[in-house]
Amino acid sequence: MRAIGIIANPVSARDIRRIVSHAGNLPINDRANIVLRLLTGLAAAAVTDVVVMPENGGIRTQLMRTIERERRMGTLRLPAVTYLDMPVTSTFADSAAAARRMDDMGVGAIVVLGGDGTHRVVASSCGQIPIAGVSTGTNNAFPEFREPTITGLAVGLAASGRVPADIALALNKRLVVTVNGRHEIALVDVAVVAERYVGARAIWKTESFRDLFVTFGEADGIGMSSLVGLTDPLDRTTPEGRRIRLAPAGAAPRTLAFPVAPGLMGKVGILSVETMAPDIACRPSVNSGSIALDGERELTFGKADDVSIRLEIDAFRTVRVSHCMAFAARHGLLVHQSCSPCHEGESR
Amino acid sequence: MNNPFPLSRDGLLTAYRRMKTIREFEERLHVEFAKGDIAGFVHLYAGEEAAGVGIMMHLEDHDRIASTHRGHGHCIAKGVDVRAMMAEIYGKATGACAGKGGSMHIADLSKGMMGANGILGAGAPLICGAGLAAQKLGHDGVGITFFGDGASNQGTVLESMNLAAIWNLPVIFVVENNGYAESTSVDYAVATDSYVDRAAGFGMPGITVDGTDFFAVYEAAGEVIRRAREGGGPSLLECKMIRFYGHFEGDAQTYRAPGEIEENRAHRDCLKIFTGKILEAGVVESGELARIDSEVVGLIDDALESAQAAPLPSAAELTTDVYVTY
Amino acid sequence: MARTLSMMAAINEALDQEMSRDPTVVVLGEDIVGGTGSPGEDDAWGGAMGVTKGLIHKHPGQLIDTPLSESAYIGAAIGAATCGLRPVAELMFVDFMGVCLDQIFNQAAKFRYMFGGKAETPVVIRTTCGAGFRAAAQHSQMLTPVFTHIPGLKVVCPSNAYDTKGLLIQSIRDNDPVIFLEHKNLYDHETDVPEESYAIPFGEANIAREGTDVTIVTYGMMVPYSLEASETLKGEGIDVEVIDLRTLSPIDLDTVFESVEMTGRLVCVDEANPRCSIASDVAAAVAQEAFGSLKGPVAMVTAPHAPVPFSSALEDLYIPSPERIADSVRRTMGAHPS
Repeated sequence: MRAIGIIANPVSARDIRRIVSHAGNLPINDRANIVLRLLTGLAAAAVTDVVVMPENGGIRTQLMRTIERERRMGTLRLPAVTYLDMPVTSTFADSAAAARRMDDMGVGAIVVLGGDGTHRVVASSCGQIPIAGVSTGTNNAFPEFREPTITGLAVGLAASGRVPADIALALNKRLVVTVNGRHEIALVDVAVVAERYVGARAIWKTESFRDLFVTFGEADGIGMSSLVGLTDPLDRTTPEGRRIRLAPAGAAPRTLAFPVAPGLMGKVGILSVETMAPDIACRPSVNSGSIALDGERELTFGKADDVSIRLEIDAFRTVRVSHCMAFAARHGLLVHQSCSPCHEGESR
Repeated sequence: MNNPFPLSRDGLLTAYRRMKTIREFEERLHVEFAKGDIAGFVHLYAGEEAAGVGIMMHLEDHDRIASTHRGHGHCIAKGVDVRAMMAEIYGKATGACAGKGGSMHIADLSKGMMGANGILGAGAPLICGAGLAAQKLGHDGVGITFFGDGASNQGTVLESMNLAAIWNLPVIFVVENNGYAESTSVDYAVATDSYVDRAAGFGMPGITVDGTDFFAVYEAAGEVIRRAREGGGPSLLECKMIRFYGHFEGDAQTYRAPGEIEENRAHRDCLKIFTGKILEAGVVESGELARIDSEVVGLIDDALESAQAAPLPSAAELTTDVYVTY
Repeated sequence: MARTLSMMAAINEALDQEMSRDPTVVVLGEDIVGGTGSPGEDDAWGGAMGVTKGLIHKHPGQLIDTPLSESAYIGAAIGAATCGLRPVAELMFVDFMGVCLDQIFNQAAKFRYMFGGKAETPVVIRTTCGAGFRAAAQHSQMLTPVFTHIPGLKVVCPSNAYDTKGLLIQSIRDNDPVIFLEHKNLYDHETDVPEESYAIPFGEANIAREGTDVTIVTYGMMVPYSLEASETLKGEGIDVEVIDLRTLSPIDLDTVFESVEMTGRLVCVDEANPRCSIASDVAAAVAQEAFGSLKGPVAMVTAPHAPVPFSSALEDLYIPSPERIADSVRRTMGAHPS
């Protein structure tokens, strides 16, 4: 049984949206508890080893404290937890570096705790290792809201092959932004805004929005991709993307009210909604500004820069938790035939 | 040239001048302290300029700040006279505090600077008072208390967060997290490792920003200050930053990782990051910055020379200004 | 027109008059209104002792109940004092000073000097002091010497309702930080108190009783005890002068020296513990400045060097009594008969 990787971002859900729009801040202690519940599910699916990204944000401290306490009390029923030996910078670079190392180690899957931003970074660095998301970020269009115990079970069943890959895994679209030959990716959306500084990273000032490119957009979705969901919805599997040209509210034929971010409604002018075909480079509508990847300003560009945005299909793999569990139910994967009472954690 | 930044060209140059003034002031003190000409404890703000200036750019004189033992940067950012500061550090009669306060106690209430403070965490209750005064006197002033990751564990800070929350005071709690409480790591000394969690525990919003990025601090500070001014109550802003020097001058810093300081100076120097951005955008030219640099050097030269030449306090000053009347 | 008020009512009246005169005067403390946020009536307590009862109705917005966070609200009062308010903070018991002392002795007391004369901190910290209530070691101390030791603080400890009103009004108008200590045993003590507002200057002792044989220097609850002892001694032919210091910092030593020069005998009476006390401070000053006038050793009547005990049997021994004061005076006289 291959090990499972866990990348839990301690710095997600900490940005300016907590001030401007009542965004949540999942406490560190709860994040550690999420990892513990995830480990419980993994153990029940016979996962014996887990490798975890080190961080100094407090999750590790809480997690190891709890594991040590349970070990002392004799109640520990979790896989062995090992931290990757890597430097900690407390930036997104840690998530990328951890994903690369887990790819090199050949882990069975990577479970990601974070929001869209964290998932983007991991997906860009993990190669073909499947990822499973647990939403702990601010804007969570990509990861699912799901009980981590179940995510752990499903990931364990998928990684061990007890649920076949064609059922357990899905292929996903992504957007590739190229600035002067340097590539960055986005999983859900790329927004072009007129402000040419990264600043506090989050985007919420709708008057500066100029372009939006998305891989999918659901009508009940949150964040920039909801603009597509509310005009011309697109699911996660159809092999196309959407582009919307934007203007300040009132400066376009129609103005749309939409949920810019959790707790924040905004209005923006819609100039056009277009279909993006795969692998065709698109240019931004403005020649200087900044580019937000999955809701966070990451890049700035000016007249002299060569900028393009392109849709890729079948770009990376995710674990389909609901499919895995449905298969497990159909085939009795969690049914024990023994007559003596036994704990699930001992099933391995 | 199209200016993509949230500050005007003049604003950017002002921010640069302030950050550069702090850097030059502190670097010069580092050199002068080593010569043995400066007495007492001196704690330098070099490397942390973007936080102080990014926040203070939003403040007026009627806004109050309560600073820390590492207060020179806050003073300069809040507009305290650099010559008077230098003379104070040299213990001269012309100093900001007539030579009676020294590095750790520089204050200028006319500029809203309620004092550097030798007692860690002591500024938090005081700034609640500034917020209460603004509320009762009916003006839109805000109060900002700075404290480090070390002082964040003081009861005064935690009590004040509770007080500010229940009274809805126009107060901002700024954690200047440079990773070290004197020599002790934040990873060891702070139980939850998350200041946003602490803010949430008091029912106030908290955010974390990269304190080496002036624009990140500026934008975040703008929002929390606007919120406080408009009656939205207190909030917490954590700036993750880099301390270039030791806890105090003379600290050998053996607790830091080998190469840590060099690495930070090369890649996480807030001043370099700032100038890189504004030059790259073409909003200002390097010649303009060079001109500011030489003016700042001139100012610090002058401050240093005049401080060294200034008279010491007279013996009669020993017991004056203990009271207003006695 | 003579009118009597208790010390408690005198404090209430002083606060009332000062809040009316100056809207920047704000009063804050734990339970000073009482019942804030509770389902029952507002103004439920008016302070732990009921001193501020009724003021909230006359001055809404000028009285603020605080959470039980002495560091935070005492510090906030001090900070606000440097920002245009004249806060009067109430600390329920002086014994709680330990919790918030940094804000008082490192902040308020030092701002003016440390900032080169540019700061004014017009804050008053009212608190209760003194033993006699079976309240034990953490609710009964005097601690007056702790504050007089600190440059930058003014320290007031009145002995009667009249002085209390005038000194509290002076404290509120004063531009330095003032520690205002109210003896719990004196709260119901009544004297004539004029209705109009008046201020008693700091640093002026009151000669509570004129006499020629021996000088008692004291303050607070020990003033009535010393007066009671003096009445006893009068029957024995000893004529005692009782000096009520009223303010301990600044302290009016001139009045003490003048009296000692006349009587030649000094008994210092202090409810505080003896080491580095007000009593020892006065004794030392007289030894330095008026030694030649002394006809015999200076005597001190104080609490012992021990915490305040709980049991009535012990607490009654702990507090200097009129009998102990009288005995001390007799010894002072007997050792050197005139």
